[in-house]
Amino acid sequence: MDRTGQVLATWVDLWTAAGIAETRKAAPRVETHRTPVRCGGARPRGALSGMIEFRHVSKIYGKVRALDDVTFAVGPGSVTGFLGPNGAGKSTALRVLVGLSRPSSGSATVLGLPYAEMACPGLRAGTLLDAGARHPGRTGREVLTLGAMTLGLPRTRVGEVLDLVGLTERESRRRIGGYSLGMRQRLGIAHALLGDPEVLILDEPANGLDPQGIHWMRLLLRHLADSGCAVLLSSHLLHEVEQVADRIVMIGRGRVLAQGTVEELSRGRGLEQTFLELTAHTDRSPGTGTFPGVDAGRGAA
Amino acid sequence: MTRAGHHPHDITRATPSPVTEDDTLDATVNGTVNGTANADRPIPFRRLLAVEARKLVDTRSGMIITLVMVGLVVASVVARGAVVRPKPQTLAGTAGIALGTLLPVLAILTMTGEWTHRTALTTFVLEPRRHRVLAAKSVPPLVAAVALSLFAMLVAVPVTAVVAEVGGIPADWDVQPIWLLGWTGVNVLVAAQGLALGALLLNAPAAIVISLTTPVLWAVVGRLGPVGAALAEWLDLNTTCAPLTSGDMTWGEGARLATSAVFWIVIPMAAGLVRLLRKEVT
Repeated sequence: MDRTGQVLATWVDLWTAAGIAETRKAAPRVETHRTPVRCGGARPRGALSGMIEFRHVSKIYGKVRALDDVTFAVGPGSVTGFLGPNGAGKSTALRVLVGLSRPSSGSATVLGLPYAEMACPGLRAGTLLDAGARHPGRTGREVLTLGAMTLGLPRTRVGEVLDLVGLTERESRRRIGGYSLGMRQRLGIAHALLGDPEVLILDEPANGLDPQGIHWMRLLLRHLADSGCAVLLSSHLLHEVEQVADRIVMIGRGRVLAQGTVEELSRGRGLEQTFLELTAHTDRSPGTGTFPGVDAGRGAA
Repeated sequence: MTRAGHHPHDITRATPSPVTEDDTLDATVNGTVNGTANADRPIPFRRLLAVEARKLVDTRSGMIITLVMVGLVVASVVARGAVVRPKPQTLAGTAGIALGTLLPVLAILTMTGEWTHRTALTTFVLEPRRHRVLAAKSVPPLVAAVALSLFAMLVAVPVTAVVAEVGGIPADWDVQPIWLLGWTGVNVLVAAQGLALGALLLNAPAAIVISLTTPVLWAVVGRLGPVGAALAEWLDLNTTCAPLTSGDMTWGEGARLATSAVFWIVIPMAAGLVRLLRKEVT
């Protein structure tokens, strides 16, 4: 199974390198696109070519390998789901990506640069790492106003992103302490969209959203991807990812287990089965007949 | 407008793909992003400054502490005016008690606020150059120290006039500029001490407790024999900055002030900066 994952990962790397990340269309066979597209001087070294790139990123805390040689890329026009049980390293990887955490080795780049070296990253990449990490005493509108001020955006942008995520004028003037998790997620996504970014990095954005909310998010992310955005979203819930993502990177115990389109990873047996098999050896999930996100999550918690 | 046109250095332009070749893309999602935004320029410092100043007063706790400080300045000036000979310098000086207590608290809260509610996750994603955020956070409390010192003086003038009028006592209008400058300097140092403590500990309760208990501790240390007395003499910032207001500071006093300022402000601030730059933000 590991070998299959490896082969698949290599396959997808090559495929991504060919610059054809438009994954919803029937995937062209990789053999016809083996030569990576080299583009100007914009793309430095290596075989990957994506708007988000992880290159052999490892992160070691003491004796724990939180990330182990993580390599993958997210190209323009795709929604990539970063799927793995709780504690698999998803959040750590995203924190490394946006420069909040330093990798022990390897590098992660956004639009070809380490995130922290971008002049004003908030205008190129929108990030939501934890919808709960807000001052409860501020109103939703105030949080967005602070973000808009920081990025030098007109205040009218605040109203626009509020409309975009479906938060009403009245809700936006309430203190965040009274928000439901779903409202906080919407606020977080609104904040990420402030700078009209080309890249979106969302950690567990579907947590707390109701089915309508997930449907709404799918449409929004699809729309953004269709306009050229690269979207990377993490989740431990397989069905959520399945609904919104067109590509999936599976991670367990800090390692990339497999990556590819939803159809590829399903391989005729369903995505769930693939996920269970891949995570069975790396996590303490029971491994059969149960919903992996839930059980793997409990096992790892 | 295409996204490639929207962002001059859009990577999608360098990577031809079916998506970017379609000029009819882009959408209402993107709305009116313009203003002074420029993805290729670092965020100007004045903008960070405006944001950090706003964060200081856009929450209840920040607003309350600011209002309480203004209120206490007025109250202490008026209260002193009721009991002493009318002299603006004396009355304004009384406000130093309130400022000396609350300016460090305000400074600590601005430094530690991001970590209490983990808003650092957002702040340092928008500005990854963390030292710039630290610098922007340092300025408002220092400006507040200057502004509140001058405000105390402004309040003291009419209070003096009223007290002199009501009590029939001649007012002493003598205000030495060097005193006002020195006294303002003391308040700025006190705020800076709070900033440094907050930056070092990144924990509001711990920093506030240390800030509020040190005067008591120094009083105790000062009585612990010659060593304790020497320590207090050189390191107690409250004592060493007192000569600032007299206008005839000696070299020895200057050396003591510098020593205690290095100990309480420069060292913790430098350590806090290093800690902040290396910290994993979670």
